[in-house]
Amino acid sequence: MFTVGLTHYLVLAAAVFCCGLFVMMTKRNAIGILIGVELLLNSVNINLVAFDRYRPIGGTDGQISALFVIVLAAAEAAVAVAICMNLYSNLNTIDVDRGDALHG
Amino acid sequence: MESYSNYEIYLMTGTMIPFVSFVILMLFGHRLGKPLSGWVTVAAMASSCALATMTLVGWMGEIDGGTSAGLTAAAQLNQVTWAHLGSIPLNVGVKLDSLTVVMYFMVTFVATWIFVFSVGYMAGHSDEVDGQSKYHRFFCYLSLFGFSMLGLLCSSSLLFLFVFWELVGLCSYLLIGFYFDRKYASNAAIKAFVTNRVGDFGFLFGLMMVAFFLGTFDLEQAAARFAEQYQSHIGLFAGDMTIDLLGWEISGGMVATMMGIGLFCGAMGKSAQFPLHVWLPDAMAGPTPVSALIHAATMVAAGVYLVARVFRLLTPDAQMFIAIIGAITLTLMALIAIVQVDIKKCLAYSTLSQLGYMIFGMGCGAWIAALFHLMTHAFFKAMLFLCSGQVIEGCHHEQDMRKMGGLIRKMPVTAFTFLIGVLAIAGFGIPLAGIGLGGYFSKDEILAVAWDRAFLWGEPLEHHGDGHADSTTDDAPDSMTHTGPQAIRLVSRHAHVFGWNGGVIAGASAAPTGLVEFGRRDRGLTPPAIDYRPSGASQDRDTSRDRDASRGRDTQGAPAGFALASDPQPDEHGAAHDAGGGEHHPAAGAWQRSGGDRLWRVLFWCALATAYVTPFYMMRAWWMTFMGKPRDEHVYHHAHESPLMWFPLVVLAVFTFVSSYWLFRPLIADAAPTASGGILVAGYDGVADDAAAAAGQLIHVHEAHHWLAYGVGGSWLIAFIAAIAIYRGGLALPTRLKAAFGPIATLLERKYYFDEVYGLVFVKGCVAFAHVCRFVDTYIVDMFANLLARMTERLANFSGNGVDARVVDGVFNGIAVTSFDISDMFRSPQTGRIRNYVLFAAGGAALIVLFLIVMASLSAGPVAVASTGG
Repeated sequence: MFTVGLTHYLVLAAAVFCCGLFVMMTKRNAIGILIGVELLLNSVNINLVAFDRYRPIGGTDGQISALFVIVLAAAEAAVAVAICMNLYSNLNTIDVDRGDALHG
Repeated sequence: MESYSNYEIYLMTGTMIPFVSFVILMLFGHRLGKPLSGWVTVAAMASSCALATMTLVGWMGEIDGGTSAGLTAAAQLNQVTWAHLGSIPLNVGVKLDSLTVVMYFMVTFVATWIFVFSVGYMAGHSDEVDGQSKYHRFFCYLSLFGFSMLGLLCSSSLLFLFVFWELVGLCSYLLIGFYFDRKYASNAAIKAFVTNRVGDFGFLFGLMMVAFFLGTFDLEQAAARFAEQYQSHIGLFAGDMTIDLLGWEISGGMVATMMGIGLFCGAMGKSAQFPLHVWLPDAMAGPTPVSALIHAATMVAAGVYLVARVFRLLTPDAQMFIAIIGAITLTLMALIAIVQVDIKKCLAYSTLSQLGYMIFGMGCGAWIAALFHLMTHAFFKAMLFLCSGQVIEGCHHEQDMRKMGGLIRKMPVTAFTFLIGVLAIAGFGIPLAGIGLGGYFSKDEILAVAWDRAFLWGEPLEHHGDGHADSTTDDAPDSMTHTGPQAIRLVSRHAHVFGWNGGVIAGASAAPTGLVEFGRRDRGLTPPAIDYRPSGASQDRDTSRDRDASRGRDTQGAPAGFALASDPQPDEHGAAHDAGGGEHHPAAGAWQRSGGDRLWRVLFWCALATAYVTPFYMMRAWWMTFMGKPRDEHVYHHAHESPLMWFPLVVLAVFTFVSSYWLFRPLIADAAPTASGGILVAGYDGVADDAAAAAGQLIHVHEAHHWLAYGVGGSWLIAFIAAIAIYRGGLALPTRLKAAFGPIATLLERKYYFDEVYGLVFVKGCVAFAHVCRFVDTYIVDMFANLLARMTERLANFSGNGVDARVVDGVFNGIAVTSFDISDMFRSPQTGRIRNYVLFAAGGAALIVLFLIVMASLSAGPVAVASTGG
């Protein structure tokens, strides 16, 4: 019987992290980048929950931390979407490369 | 310091009032406008005149009371030290003596009436340049002139006298060039200014010598020190005193002479004497009131005033020089006046000639007579000029006398006042009757003194062996070949007492202070009681009042500080003087009475002959202008008189009478005896400076005067008849005469070609010199300058393009470029793209992880690495 252990969770988290990183690096769409960031955060959440479950001494520190991250991610998404909206209203696009007005 | 006496305050205030008016007119003149600014000036000068009159009246009281000498001495002490020049204090003070008082009165009085006349004169003259009125400017300058002239008279110090001297020169320049938009006027102004500077250069030179040798600028002190040096044989007159001037050994006596001549040079410029006379006729380009005030009555007389003030600094040689210059001027200028057809120029040459008389008189030692002539001349010549102004104004700015004639019917007042002036200058008088006008007394007195100097004054007996010339202007070779004191001994044989023909003479040698008390007949006289008839009229008047006055004063005793003269027989002197007797010849002593210098005789004959020329040209001018038939209908038709202009004429005419008889001569004579023992050969009015001889000499002067009364007294009549005979029939006879005289007339009309010669020598010379300078400048100075410039350029090129551009700039540019490159390198990764940053962050994190793994493997050993790698 195939037992799911800590290593599997970690590999999953690493895979999600890499996906998120890849999305962030390749997308020019602001929403796309936001999605990448969400992927990164969720991979971290997986790590937190997994380490909390498999650690020798019991407790819920990791899970609480994951909850905090989720709340933060929601807040961050709200701010990011607002930025996107502004970007769009100013430039009629959400291509982040076009938002280079302050570029030296 | 003592408190100021009233007179000093009057004089100072009177001087400042015109200055205030000058400032007012300068600031607000354009607003005061046409007639008002003129009246401001008149009011200022009239108040000065009122103060001057108060001073004059008060001063005569002081003389009566015998306190005037004390006041003079007090004023001398009332000096403020303004600054120090080395050890020489520059003192500011008021010169308060009879001469100042009387000159001050004359200037303010004449100026007041001329200002009144000016208001009338300017009313009819255009005064606009480029649409701007210069009317107030005219009166502004006149006020400044009033201030400067009065300051000049009050100055107790030669230095301040010089300052005011320059100020009057400036005013003269400004006023001659008043119509500066006319070329001839601005040229005349420049000519006057430049010519005066030539004279002032000499003046300044003399001033420096006074400061250097006498160590003071104060007039009184300078005279005292000069006399002291002379008497004690120190300073200039020390036995071994010589000066090396460009390799010429010059004795102290010569230096003293040069000092006197230097100071006289100033007078030569201002009083327009012979070599520097050329500016005065041209100065007639100014408005006529200016000619009357500045160029006839006051400023040109300042030269004579200066000589009078420095009289005691003159050596016999300097006196001789002055007399020669004066004689040349008076003769040559009188001759020019004969042919002048311009009414103002004719008067200008007449002024020159009369100034020549004054200067000549000063040279002869006729101190009183020369100043007396200055006074009388100031009144009648100012009046004559104002008359000419009236004529010119009335005749529609016509100055050519050939176009006038018959104007007596149109301008009766002008004609008669002009005639009074003509009579005054001509020396009109009736010998032995005591009746006469101005020149009859003053000019003839000068002639009398000159006669005395020429014929009665011998050279010392010892002198004749050397030849007479060496006592005059030719001292240089004498004092060079002999030892220094030679020149001094020549002059020191002349003893040193001054007196004047009033009578009592004192010995200076007997007076420890060197001051001399003089008996003065005129002292006790107040204006209404003045019983004095100057010159020719006096010999037959032996009034007891004179003698009483004289005796009374002699018994009064002398004022403190003055040595009392011992005069045993005042009455007898007075009587002898009045009677013209000749019993009181001096003991022969050092003087040979019969001998005389040939040169002095020539000078005397010049002056005497000119006494016949003067009435001729004056009567000619009067006749051509006022008598005969009108020669130009237009001019005649236009002729008119204006009351504002003829009233001053009448006032001045009255004062021509007054100045001839009362007031002036006694006061001038009162100023004279402030002399101390000095070097002069002839002192006041030719009176000997030998104590013993002096008493007798007075008599000679008056013998001469008696004789002159016949010789010169009739000159006016003869000359008048000649002038009328020639000019009564119009211009036909004069024209024929002129043709007959041909070259002489041309010579006179061309003014002896002075202007041409000066133009050739000085102006052209200057231009030629300028060309030489330009040549030197272009080819020599410029060459050096260009060479230097080229070398500098090369050096700059090397330093700029070589050192600076390559080395210095290279270093700094290198630093800049390098830092730019470095910063560019750091700048390139900053793309601003979020993707790149994520990449870098991720890459960086990966590298750190890799690094940690490698570090961990290394510490764990090759096996661990292998296992990890596996």
